[in-house]
Amino acid sequence: MIFVKNLVKKYGSQMVVKGISFMVREKQIFGLLGPNGAGKTTTMEMMEGLRTPDGGSIEIAGIDAVKNRSELKRIIGVQLQSTSLFEHLTVRESLQLYGSFYRKTRPLKEILQAFDLTEKEKARVKHLSGGQRQRLAIAIAVIHDPRVIFLDEPTTGLDPQARRRLWDIVFQLRDEGRTVILSTHYMEEAEVLCDQVGIMSQGKIIDIDSPAGLIRGLSSKSRIEFVLPDHRLDQELTRLKGVTDVVREENEVVSLHTDHLSRTLHDLVPWASDRSVPLMGLRTRSATLEDVFLQKTGKRLSGE
Amino acid sequence: MKAYWHLVRAQLLLFVRNKNTMIWSFFLPVFMMLALGTFMNDGGDQISLKIGVVDADRTAASAAWKKEIAGFQGVQLEPGSESALMKQLKTGDIDLIVKIKQGFQEAFEAKEPYSGAKMVAIYADPGNQTVTQMATTVVNQAVERFNKERVDYQPVVETEIKPVHSRNLSYMDFLVPGILSLMIMSNNLNGVAATIASWRERGILRRLQGTPLTSSTFIAGQMTARILLNAFQAIVVLLVAYFLFDISVFGSWSTLILLIFLGTLTFMSMGFIVASLSKTPESASPIAGLISFPMIFVGGIFFPIRDLPGILQPLVQAIPIGHLTDALRGVMNDGLTLGQLILPVTVLLAWAVGSFVIAALTFRWDVK
Repeated sequence: MIFVKNLVKKYGSQMVVKGISFMVREKQIFGLLGPNGAGKTTTMEMMEGLRTPDGGSIEIAGIDAVKNRSELKRIIGVQLQSTSLFEHLTVRESLQLYGSFYRKTRPLKEILQAFDLTEKEKARVKHLSGGQRQRLAIAIAVIHDPRVIFLDEPTTGLDPQARRRLWDIVFQLRDEGRTVILSTHYMEEAEVLCDQVGIMSQGKIIDIDSPAGLIRGLSSKSRIEFVLPDHRLDQELTRLKGVTDVVREENEVVSLHTDHLSRTLHDLVPWASDRSVPLMGLRTRSATLEDVFLQKTGKRLSGE
Repeated sequence: MKAYWHLVRAQLLLFVRNKNTMIWSFFLPVFMMLALGTFMNDGGDQISLKIGVVDADRTAASAAWKKEIAGFQGVQLEPGSESALMKQLKTGDIDLIVKIKQGFQEAFEAKEPYSGAKMVAIYADPGNQTVTQMATTVVNQAVERFNKERVDYQPVVETEIKPVHSRNLSYMDFLVPGILSLMIMSNNLNGVAATIASWRERGILRRLQGTPLTSSTFIAGQMTARILLNAFQAIVVLLVAYFLFDISVFGSWSTLILLIFLGTLTFMSMGFIVASLSKTPESASPIAGLISFPMIFVGGIFFPIRDLPGILQPLVQAIPIGHLTDALRGVMNDGLTLGQLILPVTVLLAWAVGSFVIAALTFRWDVK
C-alpha cells in the first residue's frame, strides 16, 4: 500500500530525516513513535505532499507522492494540529467548506453522527472542547472518504477520557477499510492502537515491528521496581538470579530487568530481609515500548 | 468552482463574526467622518473671518463703512481697543485688525477727490497667509466700494467668476473620498498581511494545502470576499456622508466601483507579498503598518498632495495611494469620467497587475 524508500529531508544544513525506509500494509494502523523533534511530523508532511523530500521516494496506493501531488491529495485525508481550524466557523460550516474542495463527499449527517458531533453542529469551533476539536479535525479529514488517513499527534493535550474516545474513532477508521498513519510520542497510545510501530529517534527509524514483537525483542521482558535509597546496594542486585540489568529510575526507585520473574523474586525477598531493606513500593510489570525505546536509544521517550 | 464560492462564503462569515474587522471596517471610518466633519466643517462652506475693528474716527462715515464691511458673508466684526485686539490677534482669536484712523470722514468729505489719504490700516499675522489674504481682500473691497459710491462710479467692463468645480466644495467633500481610499489601503494591506500570516502560523494554510484546493482558487476567493467587503464598506461610508453631510457621488458609480476594485486588488496583493516575505508571523503586521502609515500622509487623504514639499513629489507620483485618492475625488466631487482619469487609472492598473504577479509568485502555504 505505502512504500517509503531512503527518504531524506534537510532544513538548511541540518538533516532532520536521515534516509528512512518502511512499508505499510493496507487497512492497518501504522504509528511513528518518538520524542518531539525526532522527525515524525516532517516524515508525515512529505508523505502528505506538503513538503518536498531532498531524496528518496514515496509511493502511496500506486501514486508517486512526490511528483503527483494533486492526485495524491484526492485519496488522502490529513489531520494537523487542532489550531488549523477556523475559530469563527461552526462545525457544520467547517465540514461544508472542506467538503467543497472534493468532487465527492460523504453525507454531512453521517459524518456528524460518526464523530459524535451532531449536537455541536451549529457551535463555533472556538467554543468546542479539545476532544471535540480533534474529532472535528478528523471528521474533516475523512469527509471525502479517503483511503489513507494521516493523524499528527491526534491525542496530544487531551484528558484520558477524551483520548480513549479518540482511540475508538481510530479503530473505526481502520475497520471501515482505511489505512491509518499516525504519529505519537505516547508509548501507551502506540501500544494500544498500532498494528505496526516504527520507532523514530533523531531522524532515523530504529526498529519496526508490531508492539508485541518489539517487546519480545527485548533482552528481558519483566521489571521489578522498589524504593532503594542506598545506591551502594545496586551492585549486589545484579547477582540475583535472572537479573540482566539494574537501572536507576526517578525518586530513588531501582528497576531490576529480568526474564525469570518468579526466580528473581524468590531470591530478592531473603536478600532484602538480610539487609533490612523494606522493599517499599514493590511492584512488578511487563516491559513496554518505553523500555524498548530506552534500550535502543539509551534515552527515555517521555519525561524530558 | 464549488470551492471558490464556499471560500468566499466562509471568508464573509469570518468578517462578520470577527469584531476587529467590523470595528476597523465600519465603525472607524464613520467615526473619523463624524469627528473630522464636526471639527472642520464649522461654518459650512463659507469663509469665516473675525475682524477686529478699532474706530478712532467715530463718525457717521466710519460707522457706515463698518456696516459695509460687516455686510460681507462670513465676516464678523469684533470692536475693541487697539491693545486688547492686538492680544486677541496674537492668540488667534481674531484673524485681522482694521484701524479706522481719525479724519476718516473728513477725508471723504474733502472737496478734492483723489487725495489718496491712507485712512484705513490693516494689522495681520504674516504667519497665517491664507486668512490674511482673504481678510485683506475683504477690507480692500469694502474700501473700494465706499470709494466708488463716493464718486458715483459706473463700471464700464465687469468681470465674472466662473467656478471650476461645478458646485461649492467643502472639506467634507474632500475628506470622504480620502477616507474611502484610506480604508481600502488599510483593510487590505494590513488586514491581509495579518490574517494570512496568522493562518500560516496556525497551520490553517498547510491544512488547506493538504486538500486538492489550488492556490489560485484560494487567492481568488480571498479577493472576491475582500472586494465585497470594501464595496459594502464604501456604501456605508457614502450613505453616512449623504445623510449627515449632504455629500453625494457626482460622477458615475461604475467608475467608482472600478476604482474600489483596482485599489483592493493592489493593496491586497501587497498584503500577500508582506505576509509571504516576512520572516515570522509576528513581524507581518508591523511591516504592513510601516508601509501604510507614511502613505496616510503622502496619499492626499487629509490634505491635498500639492501641499507636500517638492522633494516628495516624484515619490508621491510613483506610489498608488495618491492616485487612488485623486481618482476617487475626481469621480465623487467633479464627476470626471474614466477618460479624464486616464493617468491615475493607468498608474493604479500597473500597480495592481504588478503587485498581483509578485504576490502570486511569492505565495507559499507553509512557514519557511
